[in-house]
Amino acid sequence: MSSEQQPGVIVVDRGHPATRDGRGLARGIGVVLRHLRDAFGPRLERPEQTSGVFTVQYPEERTPLPEASRNLPILLFDDDSGHELCTSCYQCERICPPQVIHITQARDPASGKAVPAIDEFILEYDACMSCGLCAEVCPFDAIKMDHAFELSTATRDPLTVDRAGLARPVSYYAQLAPQAWAEARDGAMKKLQGSRRRRTGTVGMTPARAAPPAADEPAAPTAGAAPASQPASGEPAAASDAKAARLAAIRARNAARQREGGDS
Amino acid sequence: MSAHESQLLQVNIGPQHPSTHGVFRMEVTLDGETVVALRPVFGYLHRNHEQLAEASSYIQTMPYTDRLDYFNSMTSNYGYALAVERLAGIEVPQRASYIRALMSELTRILNHATAIGFMINDMGAWHTALQFGMREREKILDLFEMASGARMMCNYFRFGGVVRDLPPEFLPYFDQLMRGLPAFFDEFEQLLRDNEIIVARSSGIGILPRDVAASYSVTGPVLRGSGVPYDIRRAEPYGIYGELAFDIPVGSVGDVYDRTLVRFAEMRQSYRILQQIRERLPDAGGGHINPALANFGKQKALRPPAGEAYARVESPKGELGFYLVSDGSAQPYRYKVRAPSFINLTPLGAMCRGHLLADVVVILGSIDIVMGEVDR
Repeated sequence: MSSEQQPGVIVVDRGHPATRDGRGLARGIGVVLRHLRDAFGPRLERPEQTSGVFTVQYPEERTPLPEASRNLPILLFDDDSGHELCTSCYQCERICPPQVIHITQARDPASGKAVPAIDEFILEYDACMSCGLCAEVCPFDAIKMDHAFELSTATRDPLTVDRAGLARPVSYYAQLAPQAWAEARDGAMKKLQGSRRRRTGTVGMTPARAAPPAADEPAAPTAGAAPASQPASGEPAAASDAKAARLAAIRARNAARQREGGDS
Repeated sequence: MSAHESQLLQVNIGPQHPSTHGVFRMEVTLDGETVVALRPVFGYLHRNHEQLAEASSYIQTMPYTDRLDYFNSMTSNYGYALAVERLAGIEVPQRASYIRALMSELTRILNHATAIGFMINDMGAWHTALQFGMREREKILDLFEMASGARMMCNYFRFGGVVRDLPPEFLPYFDQLMRGLPAFFDEFEQLLRDNEIIVARSSGIGILPRDVAASYSVTGPVLRGSGVPYDIRRAEPYGIYGELAFDIPVGSVGDVYDRTLVRFAEMRQSYRILQQIRERLPDAGGGHINPALANFGKQKALRPPAGEAYARVESPKGELGFYLVSDGSAQPYRYKVRAPSFINLTPLGAMCRGHLLADVVVILGSIDIVMGEVDR
């Protein structure tokens, strides 16, 4: 078949069966033995090395994550004022391919007018596929991708995370992604000043700051922790019913808002 | 010997079976241990991929393409981006094309290294050979994570380029990896290529003659193993592949062994391509994305003019094609994936006929399928 040899085409060499008398096997075992020896040697440190200890003893040892690494979305708030960067522009809710973001906009308690802040923000971590489109689309740099990946829970309910559970201080993100934040910082903070001018009272403040936390409530949720406001008790079926009802309420409220003429 | 005449036996392999590489069923009719007929049954992993894309905006489908062939999300991204670019007439800067080709070739190396490993796994050499491939794959995934943020579901490509430029730590790591790769290829071949057991298990097994391969429109290493030098990178160059020098390795017999050897040779060719890309990347003009589409809002609001486009790339598994029909709205009117894993699987019955049951899993392993792509 290899008679019509074309330029740029190579026919793979099948070797010579006649010379195969166990030497191929011996060579292969030689490779394995060499690696067995090296397995007691030093840790493989540079990617050019192909022999040595490659395994990392997780969870005791961890390899650092690159800055771009993304896992699940978080909502940023300003360290000093406690104000969230999110203005409920609904961009992330619209772009999200699996549609796991649910937002309602805050209203001024006195006038009832919509303000650039969130009232509710629910993200279903269990259905999120970590694509990062929400963080990419966000014009206010309010939603970012976290590096935390140890999120296992015993039940599914803590994975429906609300505003309090998603909140992370800006300083936390700045430490995760120093370069990306250095580029985004000025614009994000300027936009936050703009939206703060239209917020009153505790509207738009992260829940932990808006109401001083109770003694049993952690002030700043650690990465991956279940949101503090989620009821720990209650049978699972009731909890998921409650979740469905909550999401339905959000949808209904947003539909009503759109009928009103979408004052944003 | 009518007294010993055997009765045909029907055996179901799968859908839940460790050697079917996912949820895949084979209805095997056996005479003793010899396969008389084999019918592949798929559809267990169907998840509405195409319908979902027709209900989503163009950019929303990008992360879903990662989940087609989850080993090679970069090439799946490439095929989809290419189709949309063709549909909307988007130019790609040269640097972006180089980055795309670089990611594609890294993907090919990692896919072939693990595909060979998994096939040896199916032969019964439990995980030893696979670990060699997995080690190199981990390093390449480190690179993917640096660039895209994710190891497997990269979602790295955007229409007109890639989501972000290579980070500063990428190229030093890449250069180091490249220094180690030839040693890995040598060692991997030394480990497996002449191994008498592997030769005995794969030589003459699952022969797919070139005319049969062509009639099933098989592509990728399976087709090239059958001796047809057909490679999309050469047949219909996309991106910068027209400027790159590489050879197409082909087999002479078309058996499992040839397919394995073709994969070994392709890894070395990919290495050659990577060397050329590395040389030219610093001089490549343009940014990582077309400036007209650098703002994500533009990606989001993309409304290609009414029309249709088909784009195909040489994914490590074969010809990966995306067919799109636009009616001028923000969502594709029709979206179709031509998945190489799916089409390469169709001649499985022809390949297995007359072989032993134990060879079926080896032949299946040599096709190198990912069920996420087969069923969509």
